[in-house]
Amino acid sequence: MIRALWANIDYVASVVLFLIGLYAVIAKNNLIKKFMGINIMETAVFALIISVGTVRHGSPPIMGAGARAPFINPLPQALILTGIVVAVSTTALALSLIIRIYRQCGTIEADELRRLE
Amino acid sequence: MKRIAVIAVLVAAFVPLAAAVAQLPTFGEASNPTNTYLVPRYLQKGPEEAGAANVVTDVILNYRGYDTNGEVVVIFTALIAALATLLVRPKQMAATPPGDDAPRSPIVSFVVKAIAPFIAVFTVYLVLHGHLSPGGGFQGGTIFGALIILLSLTLGHKYGLSLLPERSRPWLQAAAVLAFIAVGLLGWALCGAYLAYPSYSQLEWVREGWLIALEIGIGVGGAAIFATVFWTMEAEP
Repeated sequence: MIRALWANIDYVASVVLFLIGLYAVIAKNNLIKKFMGINIMETAVFALIISVGTVRHGSPPIMGAGARAPFINPLPQALILTGIVVAVSTTALALSLIIRIYRQCGTIEADELRRLE
Repeated sequence: MKRIAVIAVLVAAFVPLAAAVAQLPTFGEASNPTNTYLVPRYLQKGPEEAGAANVVTDVILNYRGYDTNGEVVVIFTALIAALATLLVRPKQMAATPPGDDAPRSPIVSFVVKAIAPFIAVFTVYLVLHGHLSPGGGFQGGTIFGALIILLSLTLGHKYGLSLLPERSRPWLQAAAVLAFIAVGLLGWALCGAYLAYPSYSQLEWVREGWLIALEIGIGVGGAAIFATVFWTMEAEP
């Protein structure tokens, strides 16, 4: 088990990053910090999927003069480019909602908001 | 008490994730299933079928073009949602936000003015050369949006807004969606399916032109949307 984890240490790094984000989401009280936690979790998933496509000693998947195999897998990179843009969209919307909450309630601390109800 | 609960949740999440990760195929092997199914074909035939030497661009704009089309609609929708949430009118955006008249550091202004043209040229290279080298519309658009945000932070809000004139701003924000619709309908008219590319090898320049049109649309639209989201959040109600 430990040896298998050591061989896949790049994936384990993504898991640890994911847990850091999860910690921010459940332990922090400030809505912006919570959303930063969600962003860290997104980054962890992106890093995991990108590293699944890595090939050791591979070159970038750009054909042309001087290109030689093995190539790094282009498919995860293309999918994650899409994912990053969607993450940016959700971030923009969430931050606007948080600004709106601040204007309406005067605070973005989760426990104070709960007390306001 | 709360701290113990948080640690328990994190450990409970770590154990199954680590167990799953330990069973994945070894990192970095070329013989992993992810690297042997479907991808060799993209690598082999991508440049001649889709028209770009950069296989990532082939996948984004040709093999999975519908996906990217949906994605530019998503980011445009996010802009509309942010504007609707904060209810900002263009006039409010142009109003000087508080602190805008604060004295700016002359050193920061000088450095930003000195490097801005180089950043702008770099984005143009990224967008126009994105199908032959690392880069593309999203990357170039993001850097150009960051440049506009940097300029409006250091040289003043008005200066940043003047980079996207108010009359053409909606068209610039919708540029990515419009470019996809235009190329998609052209493909429908000429090749029989939405977003279809001409498959004859003589028409390679047409394919390249469509790729560049999409990249420019994505770049301009992305930059305009990022800058507008920033101004929207900055504006006072």
